[in-house]
Amino acid sequence: MNKRLTAGVAAFALAALGFALSPASAAVKTVDESSCGMAGAFCVGVVTDTGKVDDKSFNQASWEGAKAGADKAGGFAKYIESLDSKDYAANIDLFAGKKYNVIVTVGFLMADATVAAAAKYPNIKFIGVDQFNGSTAANFSGLIFDEDKGGFIVGYLAGYLTKSGKTAAIAGGPSTIPPVRKYIEGFANGVAFAGKEQKKKLKASTVYYTGANAFNDPVWGATTAKQYLSQGYDVIFAAGGRTGNGGLAAIAKKKGAFCIGVDLDQWLTLPEAHGCLVSSAEKRLVAGVSSLVGQIKDGSFKGGNFVGTVGASPYHDLASKVPAAVQKKVAATLKKLIDGSLPTGVKQ
Amino acid sequence: MKRFLTFKWILTLILIAITGYLYSRDGVITTSVVATALIFGLPLALAAMVGIMCERTGIVNIGIEGTLLFSSFIGFFVASTTNNGVFGIFSAILAGVVTGLFLAFMSISWKMDQIIAGTIINILATGLTSFLYKQGHTAPTTSPIDIPFFSNIPFFGQVLFMNGPLVYFGLVVIFALYVALYHTSWGLRSRAVGEHPGSADTAGVSVFRLRYLNVALAGAVGGLAGAYLSLELVGSWDRGFTAGKGFTALALMIFGRWNPMGALAAAMFFGLAQAITNQLMFADVAHIPEQFVNMLPYVLTIVVLAISAGKVRPPAAEGQQYEKEQA
Repeated sequence: MNKRLTAGVAAFALAALGFALSPASAAVKTVDESSCGMAGAFCVGVVTDTGKVDDKSFNQASWEGAKAGADKAGGFAKYIESLDSKDYAANIDLFAGKKYNVIVTVGFLMADATVAAAAKYPNIKFIGVDQFNGSTAANFSGLIFDEDKGGFIVGYLAGYLTKSGKTAAIAGGPSTIPPVRKYIEGFANGVAFAGKEQKKKLKASTVYYTGANAFNDPVWGATTAKQYLSQGYDVIFAAGGRTGNGGLAAIAKKKGAFCIGVDLDQWLTLPEAHGCLVSSAEKRLVAGVSSLVGQIKDGSFKGGNFVGTVGASPYHDLASKVPAAVQKKVAATLKKLIDGSLPTGVKQ
Repeated sequence: MKRFLTFKWILTLILIAITGYLYSRDGVITTSVVATALIFGLPLALAAMVGIMCERTGIVNIGIEGTLLFSSFIGFFVASTTNNGVFGIFSAILAGVVTGLFLAFMSISWKMDQIIAGTIINILATGLTSFLYKQGHTAPTTSPIDIPFFSNIPFFGQVLFMNGPLVYFGLVVIFALYVALYHTSWGLRSRAVGEHPGSADTAGVSVFRLRYLNVALAGAVGGLAGAYLSLELVGSWDRGFTAGKGFTALALMIFGRWNPMGALAAAMFFGLAQAITNQLMFADVAHIPEQFVNMLPYVLTIVVLAISAGKVRPPAAEGQQYEKEQA
């Protein structure tokens, strides 16, 4: 009895030793930062732009995508929140210094810093969320989206939902940022397209924020939304970080008005807007980032640009306010937009 | 002074004439623009009152931004956890008083540099609220109250008498402050302390006590502005929520010459310029580049300031520590 136990323990110890000595090719779960850079370790770092990682928008989705991708690959993920645009390069350097395998940088504003870092650290792979990659670097891929398609599909929905014939789009940033412009122009074209189908003249008014606090001025978003509401606009697309969120929260208090969110399914992140939020022009950021991280892990990663998918978020509790026929039309139009048979008419 | 008076009235008349003309052209849009000017300008006006109350008694307050940020956060947080908007509003006001007392403590009791004291409040408010904030909460918000009879008046009804309760309350506070500052003994003493604390002290006014009182009261007004922002205007809170409104208010205070009515007018003018800017972009007038249109509120403010300014003089004892002379 005693002998058998001893033998069992010995066998177990030998097996454990054998396992420990076997090469690290078996998926070793990277649990913390200290093992980054070792063989088999897989570390993903996310550098946010000046928003926070729980901004209910861009940074949050990129972080969730990076985390999902890292989990799937048995890796480790960590983020740094940039407090100032001056810190972008320094924050990237922090991850690079700890030998991270992948660095995800979030947002159009970080594009220059990312291109520079990709040249500086050729052994690290970079994912630039919402950054068009114009460089030839093989270790950098921009994750881009056809925002015009996302804007178009919610504009199309707005065109069928409006009762007053007046729709509006509030941009939290200036039109010089291409994703912002493409969302807004896509929206206007989507509304016009829905108007053409219904043989109605629909109005799509747009306004851009160009002050010093782009994407970070909820009070402006709310005030502007109220200005639109008091002029009879009844479907409003509020696109742009916290500025847009302020607008959505203000519209939710108005009975009979619809609002449309952006970037993420904002129903899940912005309960203040539940009163009006019929859908969101959604970039499937989480899926985009995690599949790029997966490509890096399995070695199929290429430089250049990766086009993620866009769509209209579920209607959630407001589904009953969207007629079934309209829901069907939206789904059909989205399909045509994605396969390219219906052009949005927005300059790229 | 005389030149400013005439200019002021000419500008007012011009604005009224233009508004009347535009109203005859398009009533809905004109009403909407002026109503937007009020809801946008009011928090700035209230924040400017904070500056006026402090500086009139000789305390420089550049921590208005911090007061707004902190009180709007506390208001939203309390309203959210208790599910009671009234509690939220009172907590916001209380939070404003706390920042006021903190400023008073640093700058009066500790005799710290007042600019640094204000900066501490700004930094502390940013850090504390960012740290404590959790996303995904909702709070009950105030809803508009239509004042019977008055709300039926065309134009004025929609602009003035169909607002949320804090708009009415805020306007009452501003007018009350104006009357108090120029027509009560409290106002006279406050201004005396801000101009020449030594003389006020000789006349038997407690400089310390009055400064403490006024800075705390100013904090309460700032708290009201914060409550208005998070619980009435937006109905939400997020990091960095106030986005520099407190600093704009400081400029409006100077624009309004440390006078409540002047600052109210300046804030309304700024709000109007913002609303017109929006409207120009809504209508996509002649495809003016939006950066140019967005400059408008600032350019208009500079133009008016340049024409009307004359001599602007801050309270004489502003920013100076007062040491009671020992016998």
